[in-house]
Order: sequence, then C-alpha cells, then structure tokens
Amino acid sequence: MKTSAMERTAPDQGETGWQAEVDELNRRRRLAEKLGGPEAVSRHHDAGRKTIRERVDGLIDAGSFREVGKLTGQGRYENDGRLIDVTPAPYVMGLASIDGRPVAVGGEDFTVRGGTSWSGDRKKGGQGGFVEDMAYQYRIPLVNLIDGAGGSVTSIQRRGHAVFPGVHGFERSVALLGVVPVVSAVLGTAAGGPAGRAILSHWSVMVRGSSQVFAAGPPVVQRSLGQKLDKEELGGSRLAVDGAGTIDNSAPDETECFALIRRFLSYMPQNVWELPPAVPCDDPADRAEQALLDIVPRDRRKPYNMRRLVRMVMDRDSIFEIQPTFGKALVTSLARLNGKVVGVIANNPMYYGGAMDVKAARKQIHFIELCDCFHIPLVFFVDVPGFMVGKEAEEAATLRVGMRAVYAALQATVPIFTVVVGKCYGMAGMATTDKNGLDFKVAWPSAEWGSLPIEGGVAAAFRRDIAQAADPVAREREIEAELKAVASPFRTAEAFGVEDIIDPRETRAHLCRLVDTVQPRLRISLGPKPKYGVGP
Amino acid sequence: MSTYEVRAEVTGSIWKIVTQVGQSVDPGEVIMIVESMKMEIPVIAEDGGRVESFKVEEGASVAEGQVVAVMAV
Repeated sequence: MKTSAMERTAPDQGETGWQAEVDELNRRRRLAEKLGGPEAVSRHHDAGRKTIRERVDGLIDAGSFREVGKLTGQGRYENDGRLIDVTPAPYVMGLASIDGRPVAVGGEDFTVRGGTSWSGDRKKGGQGGFVEDMAYQYRIPLVNLIDGAGGSVTSIQRRGHAVFPGVHGFERSVALLGVVPVVSAVLGTAAGGPAGRAILSHWSVMVRGSSQVFAAGPPVVQRSLGQKLDKEELGGSRLAVDGAGTIDNSAPDETECFALIRRFLSYMPQNVWELPPAVPCDDPADRAEQALLDIVPRDRRKPYNMRRLVRMVMDRDSIFEIQPTFGKALVTSLARLNGKVVGVIANNPMYYGGAMDVKAARKQIHFIELCDCFHIPLVFFVDVPGFMVGKEAEEAATLRVGMRAVYAALQATVPIFTVVVGKCYGMAGMATTDKNGLDFKVAWPSAEWGSLPIEGGVAAAFRRDIAQAADPVAREREIEAELKAVASPFRTAEAFGVEDIIDPRETRAHLCRLVDTVQPRLRISLGPKPKYGVGP
Repeated sequence: MSTYEVRAEVTGSIWKIVTQVGQSVDPGEVIMIVESMKMEIPVIAEDGGRVESFKVEEGASVAEGQVVAVMAV
C-alpha cells in the first residue's frame, strides 16, 4: 500500500501534528477566493467586469501568481472562538511574472465594499502599501489594476476622527516613478485617491465604455456646481483619453487592456539600472523603402501620413503608440530599431500642419521624460511649423507649455537622433534636437528650416521695401524667392549646420547604425536621473 | 442600413468637395479637403460607404469636430 508524503512526515495527527490548523489555513484561503461572495461577484460580472482575481490571471503568465496577504480581512467568530467567516480585505496583490519577467501586481476588489479600504491597518496596496514597497525594494515593475472609488465619509464614523490628507500618502508612489516602470489600468469607476493613483504612472490605460476616471464623481459635481452629468460624460474614455489626455490609451475590453499592458512592459527595462530588453531582429537593418522617396509631397500645402513614414523606417510590427488619440499634432511611439528600443516623436502634418499646441507639448514632455528615465534613445521625425498661433492658443499658454517641451528636450541625457523631413521652425523646432551635443541631426532633401517660415516673415521683415515698391505683391514674392534659394538645406550642410543630408531611403540604415553605436554609452550611464532646475 | 457622421479634424475652411451626394467611396477615401494653416487637410470617410449628404459647402468655415457629411453604410 502506498502512503502519501503527508502521512510519512506527519504520522502523529492527534498529539503533535498541525493538520487542524492547516485545514483552517486552507479554509481561510478558500474564503479569500470567494471575494465579496457569489451575489456581489455575479453583480460585478453582469456589469461586464472581471473580478480582481480574474484580472490578475488575465494579465500574467499562467500559474505565476504568488499572492501576498491572502489571509488579510475581518473574521467573524463564535463565542467559543471558532471561525464563522472572513470578509477579505478589498485588495488582492502579490508577485507574478509577465513574459517571464517578475512584476508586482495588485488591485482593488470591487466586490468587497466597492473596493474601499478601511485604511486602519497596514495597507496591502492601492495608495502606497506593501505591493508598492515590493516593487520598490525588489526593483521590479508595478501594475495597478484600479477599481475603487476612494475614501468614504463613513470611515470618520468608524474611526472617530477624520484622516488628514496624505497620512496614507503617495510618497512611495512618487518615488517609484524614478526607479521602476509603473503601469495603471483603470478598470472600473475611479474617483479620488484611486484616480490619483492611476495618474502617478509611466503609462495608463482604461476600458472604453466600462471604466471612468475623475477627481470626483457625478453626485459631488452636482452638489458643488449643479452640473448634471452621468459618469461616462464626466470621465469616460472619450473625455479622459481622447479629449483631456488624463489617461494615455484605451482598450475595447479588459482582455485587450491586459494585452496592451504586456506590450508596454515589453519595451521597458525592469528598473533604471538595466537597459530595455533588446530582441533578435529579422528585419534587415539596411532595408530601404522606395516609397520614402516621395512620401513628402513637393507641394508644401499637401500633408502626408506621418504614421506610415515612421512604420516604413522602424522594425516591422514594432510600433506601440502612446496616447494615439490625444494631442493629434504629434505622434509618440515606442518602437525598435535593429531590435533595440527607441522612443519616436513625430509631428503630424495632418493636424494644423503639425503646429505644436498645448496638448502636443504635454504629450511630448511626458514622452521625453519617460524615455529619458528608462534610457531609451529618442528619434525625432521633424515637420513642425512652430508653436500653434492665435488667441485661443495664447490663452491656453501654448508659449509656456511649449517652452516646457523645449526645457524637457534640453534636459534629456539620452541620445537624440533627429531626422528633419519637412519644416523645422522656431522654438518648437528647438525642442527636437540637442544642438550642441554629439547627438546626430540629419535632413531629407525635403527639409526646410529657420526661425520662422519665409512666407510668414517676409511681410514683417521687409515692410518698408515692399511698401515702396511699384508692385508690392510682386516685390514680396520676389524677396520670398530670393530667400528660398538661400534657405536650401544644402547651404546649411555646406556650413556644417546640419550633420548630413540623406536619401530618405537610407533613413533606416542610418538610424540602426546610430542606435547600435550608442549601446555601450547607454550601458555606462544607467541609474536614476537626478532632478534639477525649475521647469517653466 | 445605418449612417455615420464625418467630422472635420481641424478648424479651417472647406476648400474643395471632391465627391458627390450618392457617390460610393472606399474606407479611408477622401471626400473633401479643408484648408487650415495654409495646408490642404483631407477629410476621410473612415468606413467608406455612400455619401448621404453634405453639411457644409465649399468656402464655408468649419470648427474642429464639426459634422461635415453623413455617410450611409
């Protein structure tokens, strides 16, 4: 007869064995897996949402979850001390792996008190807490699966006093942003603290139609301002992602949302002391796309598809666009060149000729900071006529936020490779290069640059000359033509004002060479980035 | 059959309407061109279909996000 391992090692159940306690342990584990109970779980499913345990499973490598704090909760006991039931803590977290790399992951359990934490005990996560400590101490990425509405005034009654803001604060959440990749997914209605937690991340995502995010929800808004809005109008993805850029990307459902998280992390190092993972590349580094030769129209009035241009240069299928629907004047993507991760910033001539407005500037600032933090070289494809002009643009502080983009670019210490494919004018143009360093800038023959476009500047600069001419209109055209001849990029290349002019078809080979060349320098400049100075 | 609205991506003026009511277009095809910031910005019928009606005429000013055409699919 076979005996089990358990029987061999623990023969004496009655006197000295611990089987009864192990049974209780297993019972408590089962209670934790019931979350808020079948009714609450079924309501949650009916709303089209997954439970926190299903979410963790949907995100990570199969079977890789090592839960931490599974027994945490509130027990109810008989008078004689026997356990009746445990209401689990409304936060599930632990260690797991994604594509074989360790991560810390956690999220609110909406089926227990709507994910509202009692905040009295040591916290598992949600706003600081053990899961964030693990990510920080082990130097591994953190994924927040957010589904909670924040503080509740009922806690005042329970505690007998109101909590001062920040006592259970964001210190760790902020510190993480300089050390390991932090991803936030908003998977339900997030208000208050959980909404704030979502923002303190390197990249965030929400689900279209079933998740919302705001500082305060409809009841508070109606009481404060008398505005009657439903939660989708106030904080659905159309407002929060496409309009305001509060959250970076959106997904059609939770499954796709988890796929996006895995994709984002595939471009990230585990922490700032490592390089982003390079992958083998079967796309030839010297692939030359014929279509690049005429993608930029000779007629300056005609825009073109910048996303298509970027696709032709980067490794095949390597592009992951960040904030694809916000700040349309700019396209920001993580991508690969010869297998190495790069951050691509490209102006979009389809949207106001690519002029930088406040939204595009915000997008560029965050993306530069993200790449600079994780030692990801930047590649600019430049076609920018300048900052957006007009009263609305001035009212929105385009100048100030735009100069912040210049500041971010000049403070970046990662290599910056600049390819001027069209216009490169003024201060917005300055935000695309490191002029004094050894970072390369090259131009296509279609490039043009200056402090401002000739068409706009001639009337102001040659006012008297034009006014005194017999035919002022003809004189203005004549001056424009004279200046344009001298403004050819070849003249600037003669003066070594630009490192090179290249055949557009050579762009991929050129960039792959630079990105390969710079790898040793990236390896010796790892670590956290010091912060200094005051951004405008 | 259902319809969808096509919106101008940018503020500007309608420079040229390059399709006609009743015309069928492929997904992603240009139906009109907006002039904005001295550029000719194409307005695209994302899902293609038949042009049901135009909501603007050539020369008209349009605001960002304004409906410029209705398509039937």
